[in-house]
Amino acid sequence: MKKKWLKRLVVVATTAIMGLSLLAGCGGNDTETPDGGAAENVETPDISEDTAETPDTPAVDGATVQFRYWADTPEFSQLMQDIITYFNETNTSGITVVGEEAPWDGGGFAENLFNSVMGGADIDVATWRLSSTPLFVNNDLLADLTPFLDTWDGVSDIDGNIWANMREAGGREDATFVMPWNLQILYVYYRPSIFEEAGIEVPTTYEEFLAAIEATTIDRDGDGTPDVYGFGLRGGPGGQEPWGSFVHGRGGSFEDMTSAESIAGMQDFIDVFQNGFAPPTAPSDGFSEIIDNFHSGLTAMTIHHTGSSGGMEEVFGDDVSAFPFPAGAGRWTSMADTSTVIFESSENKEAAFEWVSFLATGEGQRMWTEGTGNIPVSGTVQAGEFFQNNRFVQASIESQGFGGVIPILDTTPEWISTIFPNTIGQALLGQVTAEEAMETLQDALYR
Amino acid sequence: MKKQSILSRIFLLYLPLIAILLFILFPFYWTFITSVRPAEDLLGRVTYWPSSVSFEAYRQLFTTTVDFFAAIRNSFIVAALTTAVSLTVSTLAGYAFSRYEFIGKRALMTMFLCNNMFPTVLLMIPLFTIMRTLGFLHTPWSLVLSYTTFTIPFSVWLILGFLKDLPMSLEEAALVDGCNRRKAFLKIIMPVLGPCLVATGVYIFMTSWNEYTFAMMFTNNATRTIPVALRNLIGQLGVRWDLLTAGGILTVIPVCIMFFFAQKRLVTGLTAGAVKG
Repeated sequence: MKKKWLKRLVVVATTAIMGLSLLAGCGGNDTETPDGGAAENVETPDISEDTAETPDTPAVDGATVQFRYWADTPEFSQLMQDIITYFNETNTSGITVVGEEAPWDGGGFAENLFNSVMGGADIDVATWRLSSTPLFVNNDLLADLTPFLDTWDGVSDIDGNIWANMREAGGREDATFVMPWNLQILYVYYRPSIFEEAGIEVPTTYEEFLAAIEATTIDRDGDGTPDVYGFGLRGGPGGQEPWGSFVHGRGGSFEDMTSAESIAGMQDFIDVFQNGFAPPTAPSDGFSEIIDNFHSGLTAMTIHHTGSSGGMEEVFGDDVSAFPFPAGAGRWTSMADTSTVIFESSENKEAAFEWVSFLATGEGQRMWTEGTGNIPVSGTVQAGEFFQNNRFVQASIESQGFGGVIPILDTTPEWISTIFPNTIGQALLGQVTAEEAMETLQDALYR
Repeated sequence: MKKQSILSRIFLLYLPLIAILLFILFPFYWTFITSVRPAEDLLGRVTYWPSSVSFEAYRQLFTTTVDFFAAIRNSFIVAALTTAVSLTVSTLAGYAFSRYEFIGKRALMTMFLCNNMFPTVLLMIPLFTIMRTLGFLHTPWSLVLSYTTFTIPFSVWLILGFLKDLPMSLEEAALVDGCNRRKAFLKIIMPVLGPCLVATGVYIFMTSWNEYTFAMMFTNNATRTIPVALRNLIGQLGVRWDLLTAGGILTVIPVCIMFFFAQKRLVTGLTAGAVKG
């Protein structure tokens, strides 16, 4: 008798637990519920109920801002934690920022963030790449920053070209979803000693640049194989950025990649490889390879941003310098961004804006950009001694005026990750012509 | 029988054995020497031994924001709990499926198989919502529950296969001798099931030890596991090879130790017969 009673109790308890779990699961995407999740590990913010429930009332004082970010190295991770500590200790509104680090994961950061936000995670602010914007905007996940920007005096401290890029990413004229933070502007690294050996000066036009690539391809021992290649061409992942400079150098554009000018730019890119001015591995070379090739002295020039300048100086000292990509019929260089966004589900948008504005123009901007070597978006910080005395940063700042991004469309992520490397690989190896390759790229981006 | 000459043993046994061992062990050797190379040796000319040995990468793993000790602790808690929960449930379920006839048995077993056919990404958002609502998010339980959803079905099938091969006469003999079902299961079946449980346990432990996707979604800085901590070392601007390889070496050590002990039980299990005659 007792055993039967026990069995029944176990069955009822199990059914109740399963039912509760299902109900909990069916609770859906209730993003307004602030309990659970990260809040469990954070001290409960001291916000009065009235303030939290009324969206029109500023909820700044004592608010907690959940901040999701990625850090490229353990040093950057420590730096971000220092910045958060500094902000928490010095802001006068009693705002507490809680930093939550997540891996960059080869770009998977945005996908994980999307899943979390869709699942109702309590995230107020996240670090950002512009290319992720359409996905989040189409799902109404990002807050429009326009009301905050209208009354913020830091707007004018940031270049108008940067604001234009931020607005364009959202796809709406009347809304800005992304807050600028820092930039990685591509420029050309070169080895002054190899330029001297080749008897050339720093190129000032696109034509001179192509000639410099040829001149710095040097066969020192006369065995028929170059010991130094003029250009560390990037045909693998991320190669669309330097490639874009060639296309624009001939007057082409991303909007019409099948124009004669765009095709001519592509032909130049192919010729650099097929004429033997780039290492044989170029069709598959990505970031690590072009940097390693430059470090080992195999290439005389390559294109990258300040993120690699520390390593360059460590290896070469003064025997490495930089110049902006020269102007031809047109001029363009990739201006990659790292920015921030505030989520629509955030209940502390004002406090969140204080944090992102601190990162964009305040002490947070100075600390982060000086610590990482990235280019500041704030004109005031750019004018500081640290950046004025750095030749790599100077090349970046000089490139800022013609910096841009690959058109941000729904097709862009796949175009960058798959279509471009495959197509450019075929073009470099002569399997398709420049014209055919450009048609493929055009169709895939604007399909 | 003709005795093999020393020469033929060398060419037919030892040399192929050495070649296979080299093939298998070289990646581990390479990982290890990368972890102890000084930073300046990591790039540039390839050498098969370090110019000097430095344990700086190991030091940094434990003293910087990587906090590898916490990651090891968290991974161990999650893997141990998952193994305990999955093994308990799977053993009982496997026993029920193999010894009892009940309505819906076939459908349930098929459902267990189908469960593994759903791509993980499909489960991600619903599971996240469930964990958040239950208050399990950012606790080891969120991972334990997630991992058991795909380790239990596989383990049930694994144990079921083993149990089906066990002759019923073993239990029948116990029952005749006065045991009840529970006692027969604990005293007779469980000891025989030992090697199978070890093999299944190793599978469950390894799966949860190495899992990344759920761990990335359901943990925070305090509960982060090893795969997430290591993935943090792969940034946009490059890979911290020294820290990554040092972390890799430390990660495989517990697994190797476990295999070392598990191997004995596995071999015992393979050679032990159930009933004679």
